[in-house]
Amino acid sequence: MSDGMNRRRFLKVLGVTGGGATALTGCSTDRVEKLIPYLVPPENEIPGLATYYASTCRECPAGCGLHVRVREGRAVKVEGNPSNPINQGRLCARGQASLQGLYNPDRVRSPMARVPGGGFEPISWDAALTRVAEQLATMPGDQVWFVTGKEAGAFDSLVSDWLAAIGSSNRIVHEPFAYEALRQANRTVFGVDSIPHYDFAAARHLVSFGADFLETWLSPVEQSLGFSSGHSYQSGEMGRYVHIEPRMSMTAMSADEWIAPVPGTEGLLALAMAHVIVRDQPAGVPADASRISSLLAEHTPAAVSARTGVAADVIERLAREFTQHASLAVAGGIGAQHAAADSTAAAVNLLNYVAGNLGRTVTFHTAQSPAGQGSYSGTVELVEAMRSGRVGALFIHGANPVHTSPTGLGLTPALANVGLKVSFARFYDETAMEADLVLPDHDPLEQWNDFEPRPGVHALQQPVMRPVFDTRQTGDVLLSVARQLGERVTRTLAANDYKEYVVGRWQALQRRLGDSRPFEAFWSESLQRGGIWVDEPTRQARLAATAGSVRGEVWSAPAGDQLTLIAYPSPAFFDGRGANRPWLQELPDPVTKVTWSSWIEINPATARRLGIAEGEFIEVTSEHGSVTVPAYLYPGIREDTVAIPIGQGHAAFGRYAENRGANVYHLLAANATGFGAVEHYVGVTLRNTKDHERIAKTEGNSRQMGRGIAQATTLQALANPEEHQEEHGDHAAPVPDHIEEIIDEWQEDQYHEWMQRGNYAREDLPRWAMAVDLSKCTGCSACVTACYAENNIPTVGPDLIRRGREMSWIRIERYFEDGAHGEIESRFLPMICQHCTNAPCEPVCPVFAAYHTPDGLNAQVYNRCVGTRYCSNNCPYKVRYFNWFDHQNEADAAYAWPDPLHWLLNPDVTVRVKGVMEKCTFCVQRIRDKQHQAKLSGDLLVDGDVVPACQQTCPADAIVFGDINDPDSRISQHARDSRGYHVLDGLNTRPAVTYLKKVRNIAEGEA
Amino acid sequence: MTRRVLLSAGILTAAGALVFILGAPRGAAQGSPQQTGSADTVFEAPEISDTAALEGPRQPIFFRHDVHAGQYEIDCQYCHVNVEISPKPGIPTLSSCMNCHLIVGSGIAEVDSVRAYFNEGRAVEWVEVHVLSQFVHFPHHLHVNAEQDFDVVCEDCHGQVNRMPQIYQFAPLKMGWCLDCHKEKAVETGKPVSTDCSVCHY
Repeated sequence: MSDGMNRRRFLKVLGVTGGGATALTGCSTDRVEKLIPYLVPPENEIPGLATYYASTCRECPAGCGLHVRVREGRAVKVEGNPSNPINQGRLCARGQASLQGLYNPDRVRSPMARVPGGGFEPISWDAALTRVAEQLATMPGDQVWFVTGKEAGAFDSLVSDWLAAIGSSNRIVHEPFAYEALRQANRTVFGVDSIPHYDFAAARHLVSFGADFLETWLSPVEQSLGFSSGHSYQSGEMGRYVHIEPRMSMTAMSADEWIAPVPGTEGLLALAMAHVIVRDQPAGVPADASRISSLLAEHTPAAVSARTGVAADVIERLAREFTQHASLAVAGGIGAQHAAADSTAAAVNLLNYVAGNLGRTVTFHTAQSPAGQGSYSGTVELVEAMRSGRVGALFIHGANPVHTSPTGLGLTPALANVGLKVSFARFYDETAMEADLVLPDHDPLEQWNDFEPRPGVHALQQPVMRPVFDTRQTGDVLLSVARQLGERVTRTLAANDYKEYVVGRWQALQRRLGDSRPFEAFWSESLQRGGIWVDEPTRQARLAATAGSVRGEVWSAPAGDQLTLIAYPSPAFFDGRGANRPWLQELPDPVTKVTWSSWIEINPATARRLGIAEGEFIEVTSEHGSVTVPAYLYPGIREDTVAIPIGQGHAAFGRYAENRGANVYHLLAANATGFGAVEHYVGVTLRNTKDHERIAKTEGNSRQMGRGIAQATTLQALANPEEHQEEHGDHAAPVPDHIEEIIDEWQEDQYHEWMQRGNYAREDLPRWAMAVDLSKCTGCSACVTACYAENNIPTVGPDLIRRGREMSWIRIERYFEDGAHGEIESRFLPMICQHCTNAPCEPVCPVFAAYHTPDGLNAQVYNRCVGTRYCSNNCPYKVRYFNWFDHQNEADAAYAWPDPLHWLLNPDVTVRVKGVMEKCTFCVQRIRDKQHQAKLSGDLLVDGDVVPACQQTCPADAIVFGDINDPDSRISQHARDSRGYHVLDGLNTRPAVTYLKKVRNIAEGEA
Repeated sequence: MTRRVLLSAGILTAAGALVFILGAPRGAAQGSPQQTGSADTVFEAPEISDTAALEGPRQPIFFRHDVHAGQYEIDCQYCHVNVEISPKPGIPTLSSCMNCHLIVGSGIAEVDSVRAYFNEGRAVEWVEVHVLSQFVHFPHHLHVNAEQDFDVVCEDCHGQVNRMPQIYQFAPLKMGWCLDCHKEKAVETGKPVSTDCSVCHY
């Protein structure tokens, strides 16, 4: 490099001949910026430093704890609260996106009143409250109805108190997934109307009968953590997990074995397994299990095999495995969403019982579990009351029944019979659009509240910033209305405002807990911690008298050429409440990798039979209605089954949600099932409309083509390496000697260059590195959304995604492999910048924008980048993303942060402009921040100080980050793991990211 | 809080009174050691009649650093309180102006203006003088705390603020200028001073 032309020289020449090409650095002082100081400094706030507040996530009923990072009075990031026993510091993608609810540009910004003839106009809070109070004063109390979503805490009791005070008991809880079947089954089998706590961490053998426990079912983050520690490969051992469901869900993709029975027959399999266990009587079977042996008698493996399509010897094997280790069977998700789902859940209860799991991995609390509340039959009752004119005033909070009820129910026409419809919605959702008054509630991050996700976990919500808009907390609205209604009502509602009401409950809680400190101490400690967690007594569940009535009922599959349609909750949108968050719309579905739309999953064989190709619009018709969605060919679904995710197809709900995909509730039956739920299974016919669109998906090739990108092995192969053929990546070609010499010389050169540049915080250079344990990664994609939030990544929309121009720094690659017996296996691999030691992107950059830092980062200097895209061309991992448009420019059509969405931008990270390449930085802003802090305090960084956003949020604890030069660090240990490999190792890029092979625990007799 | 306000105001008033009595500002209130000028020459801020001739952008309030930091020798960090602990130095809140000006400075037009802003609850929109592009991160706390190891003081970047009637940009604030200092300090002290890009650019 000493003679000839190096890059800098090349640039200088270019600068002279090309003219003006060197004006890249330096600061322009043309623009006039204003500095606006506070009048009075706010408490606990220092400009430039973050403040963290503990609160509770309310994006789904799981109720995870939050730490909200606040900078200069604005929430800029949410993270899990490490002390919360539910999520232990982790958070899912929906939780990460809660900020986009707070700053959503389509929020209701002030109280609104319906104008005759359509539309809304602003109304003052005083006028709105007076109107509500006046109308309530004119009607008998029992004409007042109140619909809420699932609540468990102060608001729940306030609504009940408020209704009671005005003389009504008409309280409806509308929660699309209220686990009605599970509760019914628990009543039948154990005589308990509650939902138990499932201990996934203790279960060494797990069987899920359709429960998507890593996606939406009950408490996905807690269950992911438990599953990760109970199932993943650790020092020679791992659990085993069998998933039974007609469709391979994201959860099923983590299973060691996926069994796809005839739709709706999962319960029979559970009964047959119980049959085998009671027949063989292995150790641990409770004595009274014989009480149900008569009902199990007919469910022999042979008989069940004929009806489920699962071989009898497989059933025998599943039953044997189930009693060999601490086991757990769960039923839920789409397995418990058909008319006989209570029978499925009851059968699984019996299976858990005979295996002796009650009190071990399945625990009922003495107190009623707040999980699962209300049922769809309540919504049906409401519609009947509205039709018959018994509803004078309807209040709706935290629920969107118009979107999440079957269209045939006739909810929208029935609403016309109601004199006063008041919505407390934060967004103009479908239900709010039908209201007479919209009185917007605060966002959960702006309000005082408490929430009890399960007995003993009392979580607090506190405002982390001032309200963004002119909204008011619904609790305060109800108390104001009560005051206007006079002494008759306020007698039982003494609180002046809602915070006082919450505090009153916590004073009672403190007394109940026998805490003798002054209340102020108890309160402020609880606020700082995010709540208080206590052990609640559990009870021993025994077989109830009704347990013998369980019958092996199955869903009656449609006859003729109809297929079984399964409507399943979307991992990103849940029941649809997340659809107005651009991060979640842009998040590729973990299974299909489709963005910004809905789709119908069809087995390739079925598609061939029906003449359907991917992207063709399919008219899906049931006896209740029809929708049109593009086809997605998915090998992970039975040939007689198709599936559509719930959550899209909004008619209202803001710019990001409206008119995208289809609402599958149009297809579902309006009648409640026997246990009071919506049936999410229906028979459908498909018609190819021959219309076509290219699906906006980020999937390239679903096959690895022998590249060995996402590698896997088996527990058995790890135990006996010589007996098993190991799977290898692409074979590294031997590097010729003269090339080796050149590489060595270049590395030497580079090392001296680093030394000259000087080091940053320590005498010995750190080398930042990451490891991803694929035996833990569930593909949930929480890291992707966390990365968007931390690093100011713009969302680009479906059109640009079709052109491959998404900006996501983390891609969750999903590959399919053919198993030994023709079954489909899937693998996930989070693909990020590998921070290669010999990075191919660096030498090709003509302006030194891509270069290596002394601490081992492959850095991208935005202000140097001129957008040649050579680096991206030369990157074998394709992890560099180019700003084709000015996503940060308000005037640009691609503007990604319409007001006030830009409030969530992280002030520590540059917002990139058009023409600049960007990629994963290993969250360099967090590294520098920790190094700064260490330097100021005079300490050295210790392992675990620096936590990038993806690792921080990972609900499976799959990511490890640290200094690989420290031999004792966690990352060093992971990098030395025998399962460790580098993607595309043969290219000699020497990545800083080590992947640990996925491990499958195959069944005995399988090869 | 209240006590601190009164105390500081008291000290400043006392200092002010001393000035009136002796006719020469000694301003030992905060005892700032790094101020320039030898001990026996005392700086007196000049009276300025032609503000248009001053360097730097015109501000909504004609706040004179030469009076506050120069003549009265108030420590920089009395007003810029966060500069040692935060990457952002912090623009003083109006309430910290009022710590003194609740009592001192009556009759001066600009002080009346500050009081009006404060009493009416209006924010002062200062024009930013030292503008860094958003793709560069300058941690004030590290630099301010580097005085002992590297002999870096505020004046190195901001100039003789205590002689400036109106703030202007003293240094070019270009990357080359940053690097010159980083390299010089490494040579002078023999300690590592980073010149790596990703230390500031991310």
